[in-house]
Amino acid sequence: MASNRERKWFWLSLASLPVLLVVAFRINAWRNIEEYSRLSESEILTGNGNLDYAGALWRLENVRLIGDGRDTAQKFPGAMRLIVVRLVATAHDDIGKNWGQCQVSLTDDTGRRWLPLEVSLSNDISRDLEPKADPVNGCGITSLTPPKKSSAVMIEEKFVVPADAAPKLAAQLSFSASRPKAISLPLGL
Amino acid sequence: MRLVFLIVVIAVSMTVLAALQATTPPYAMLTGPIRTEGRQGETVSGTVFSAQIRQVQKAKTLAWDQFGRAVERQSSGTWVIVSAELQAMRETMPVRGATIIGTSGRLYHQSQRAQAAPNVLSAKTVQPGLPTTGIYIFEMPKEETRDMTLLLSRQYGPQLEDELAITLEQNGIVLREKMELGKNGI
Repeated sequence: MASNRERKWFWLSLASLPVLLVVAFRINAWRNIEEYSRLSESEILTGNGNLDYAGALWRLENVRLIGDGRDTAQKFPGAMRLIVVRLVATAHDDIGKNWGQCQVSLTDDTGRRWLPLEVSLSNDISRDLEPKADPVNGCGITSLTPPKKSSAVMIEEKFVVPADAAPKLAAQLSFSASRPKAISLPLGL
Repeated sequence: MRLVFLIVVIAVSMTVLAALQATTPPYAMLTGPIRTEGRQGETVSGTVFSAQIRQVQKAKTLAWDQFGRAVERQSSGTWVIVSAELQAMRETMPVRGATIIGTSGRLYHQSQRAQAAPNVLSAKTVQPGLPTTGIYIFEMPKEETRDMTLLLSRQYGPQLEDELAITLEQNGIVLREKMELGKNGI
């Protein structure tokens, strides 16, 4: 025969079960939401000048549109164009490991997103365009050794896009530690 | 009376639990691909990419040039070469997962023996707004090619992602002795 004390604890445990289940679900959901926000870019800061992001001031250094015969003599088939984007970041804080998992893309006003060419192809194109210069590193490699406080670094990424999208493109950049915040710099082509 | 009531409650509970277990879809199905079906010649569109199958060819021998050297691959079965046009709708993406469901229902992935052939789509990246053409190459027993469905996805084993299932036409496919693969495909 159970004592009154045991009976009290039994009903208390049973009553606390729904509360504990709700708490467990909320903790799990919160972790999932946090993980999702580390992958998404939902808070986008847009500007043409210096944008303060991830411990540095970012600006668009140079943009080249290749494939229509104007920047170089090269003409690509159909609507294919190559865009070379150079960004400069001047660190105003100690960046440390805050530049991990860099994501760079070009986006247009309809939500389409172009990802950069992979490193070896990008370097081959750099050597074709400027045979005497060393290829400029992309964001992934640069983020492994970010600039020290008060110094600057340049990154370069290349993209293949359709000609009709070029006038509407913006370069979007984010790091894992700063997401869902990202910066967007219109190319102005 | 109380004992009978208890037995009935346990029996009902067991029946309900057994019914729930029997009707719960397996995890692989819940997190499986999002399939869109279509036929060769149509543009079959998923949520993130679309494909149009232009031609299907069969050959006993494949030939191509690799770094100036002639390469030939023979098959005791048959090579199936599928020519396709792909379009990415939202984001730069590969379409590396290509599988043919043969007549018996067996699955045939792309052949590793022909992965160095020119213009193979699984080696390309599809950019939004730029239709990309190329080929997928499979090596299959002849009897498996009477009825074929092509499955296309970003990668093999897609989970909660697009998978296009395209029925390949059998009319007009002739088994050739040898097929030359050029930079522009077939």
